[in-house]
Parts: sequence; C-alpha cells; structure tokens
Amino acid sequence: MTAAAARADGSAPALLDTLAADRATGALTTRSGIFYLAAGHVVHVESAHSPALGDLLTRSGALAPAGWWEAVERAGARQRVGRQLVDSGRLTAGALELAHLGALFDAAYFALAHDGTALRFRPGVAHWLGAVRPVPVATVLRESYRRRALLDRIHPDPAVDTAPLTRTPDAGQAVLPPRRGRALALVDGGRTAAQIASALAHRTFHTLVELRRLAADGLVAPAPPAPAPPVHPVPGAGRADWDEPDTALLRRLLDALEAL
Amino acid sequence: MPGIDESLLEAMRLPGARGALVVDWISGLALGAVGEAPGGDVEATAAETAELARLAMESGALAPAHAGQGKEPPVEDLILTTADAFHLLRFVVTTFDSTVFLFLSLDRADGNLALARIRLAEMADRMVLG
Repeated sequence: MTAAAARADGSAPALLDTLAADRATGALTTRSGIFYLAAGHVVHVESAHSPALGDLLTRSGALAPAGWWEAVERAGARQRVGRQLVDSGRLTAGALELAHLGALFDAAYFALAHDGTALRFRPGVAHWLGAVRPVPVATVLRESYRRRALLDRIHPDPAVDTAPLTRTPDAGQAVLPPRRGRALALVDGGRTAAQIASALAHRTFHTLVELRRLAADGLVAPAPPAPAPPVHPVPGAGRADWDEPDTALLRRLLDALEAL
Repeated sequence: MPGIDESLLEAMRLPGARGALVVDWISGLALGAVGEAPGGDVEATAAETAELARLAMESGALAPAHAGQGKEPPVEDLILTTADAFHLLRFVVTTFDSTVFLFLSLDRADGNLALARIRLAEMADRMVLG
C-alpha cells in the first residue's frame, strides 16, 4: 500500500490506476459511488445512480426477493453471496455473471461520471457479494470513457441524463423498438433517467442510450426548470444528498426492510 | 451450469471455430472473449457486431415487436457470410435486463453453419437457464 493510495485525495481514475498497480484490496469511495477492489481488480461497483444487482434481479422477476435475501443472510458474512446463489441453484453461473457485469459497468460509469474525485480508500474492505468475475481497472476506466463518448455521439445533451424529462407533441405517433417504447412510456414530465431505469428494472446507462436516442429524434426533452426555490432556506437543501453513497445504502436498506 | 468462459470455450470446440465473444449490443462491450477476434481486435469486433445486432433488433420491417409472438427479443440470430468466414450472432434471452449475444466466427471451409447455429442456440439457453 502506497501513501498515495491510503490518502485518496486525487482523481478517482488516477487512484484506481495506482491501486491496480499495487494489487490493492479495499473500497474506494467517490462522490457518486464505491469501487470494491480485490488484488487490484474491480470485483464490484455501487452507485446511487444505477440499480443494485439485487434490484435488477428481483424486480425483473429473475429471482424471488426471498431467495436473494436468503443468500445474503447465509453467505453475506463470508462474502460469498454470488457463489451461494449459484450453488443453491437459484441462478446459473452465466446468468449471475451477465447480471453482475451489467450492474458493475453501469455503476462504474456513474461512479466516475460526476466529478471523478476520490474521497477515501478503506484498505481491506470487501463486498459481501464476493468475487463473481473480476475486471481489470483499465477495462473499467476505458469502458466508462467509451460510454460517455457513445452517449455524446447519439445526442450531445447531458441534461437528458439528469433532468426530469418530458415528451414532445411528436412522441404520440412514433413507432419505436420495444425497449425505447417502454422508456418513452415512463417519461411523464417528472421522472429522471435514473428513476425511469429503476421503474423498468433496467440498467441506467442502457436507459440513457434509449432516452438520448429519443431526444435525438425530438420525442423527449429535458423538462423546463422547476419553479423558484422557496424563500425560507430548507435545512439540508443545496447539498446533493443523492450523491452520497451512504444515503444510497440507507435507501436500499429501507427498501429491503420494506420488502421483507 | 456454465458461466461465460465455459460457454465460449464450448463454442470454440465446434468445427472451424476461430473466435467467440459475449457482447452487450447496447453498449458495444465485450463481456468475454476466447480465441481470435476477426481483424484481431476484440473491442472493435464487439463494437461493430453490436451495431449490427442493434440494427437488426430495431428493424421495424424485418423484426417488428410482434414478430417474436410475444417473446422478446424478436430476433433470434444473425448470420453474416464472407468469402472465408461465417459469423454467427445468437441473442441470449434472460429474465433480467441484459442485452447480450453470443458471437462465433467460423472458418468457412471447415465450419458447419447449420450445426453451429443449433449448438450456439443451445449454449445461449444453457448459459442462463441451466
């Protein structure tokens, strides 16, 4: 472990490179996500802007919530939840790997997107999911940059990714591919891309691709800005609570408790 | 119950197999690769085959949403033939949100397209259904 890795005050990509070179194990927190590393490889990533693996699997019906939580309970402390899901016959290894990689690259894009600042590195911290299919740091970084370029090639308006979205008058008549049609159906003037992805149990980046294509075709636009803020300051307002990974964790915990 | 690598290695045992990939057709990312990618560049092959896959999947004329008779995706596979190769893309159907296909490149002289098409379909199912 180098001093640079322990202090975690640089850009997240530079720090991830250092951690990979050191073959480090631990959790790197950025403003919008957490990278879990084992021996210098990325084993899992979480972000408040993308659905968690458990949500992707259970909300789509691929796995019953009880089955997911049973695996978390039985194998979470040993950090072998992924293995447990496969060994107990709930998922094939292929299904787990596809779902896991889908969630990992999705979260990594958002964990690096916002401003890419690393906040802290906690050495030795491992994720309860365990290693499913570790990915080299360089692959994760390259893919995140490629994804940003892909979105900009489709329609260079980043506001589509974060603003509440609204339909244009042309949206009613359009004949669309199924995935794009489902994304459009959830555009209601209030929901953001991340909320639409969550409602569909889809990955957020894959939803962004559909929404940017809809925007490029003039069927969807960022909604006009919300009304002026209240005169009296609201405690906590102005802080980007949504950006804090710990808030995301608490939300997920709450969801999980409610689902029991 | 094979994972990604086991499925790709199994595909490579088909006669004439040169290279096999698992590709996400929305992002263009290769999630796994075995053997030799056509042109020698896995990332370029993944990105280009993903574009082909997306065009097919979004073809309102060839593969309208109802073509799958309620099943999704409406396209099962794609075959691209060149002077020396068969390239085969088989979409993997999952219950969760995944947008992937198996890609297999076969030497045209040694490959058996009909056999590969059947086997790749079986592998795609077995990888996610067990």
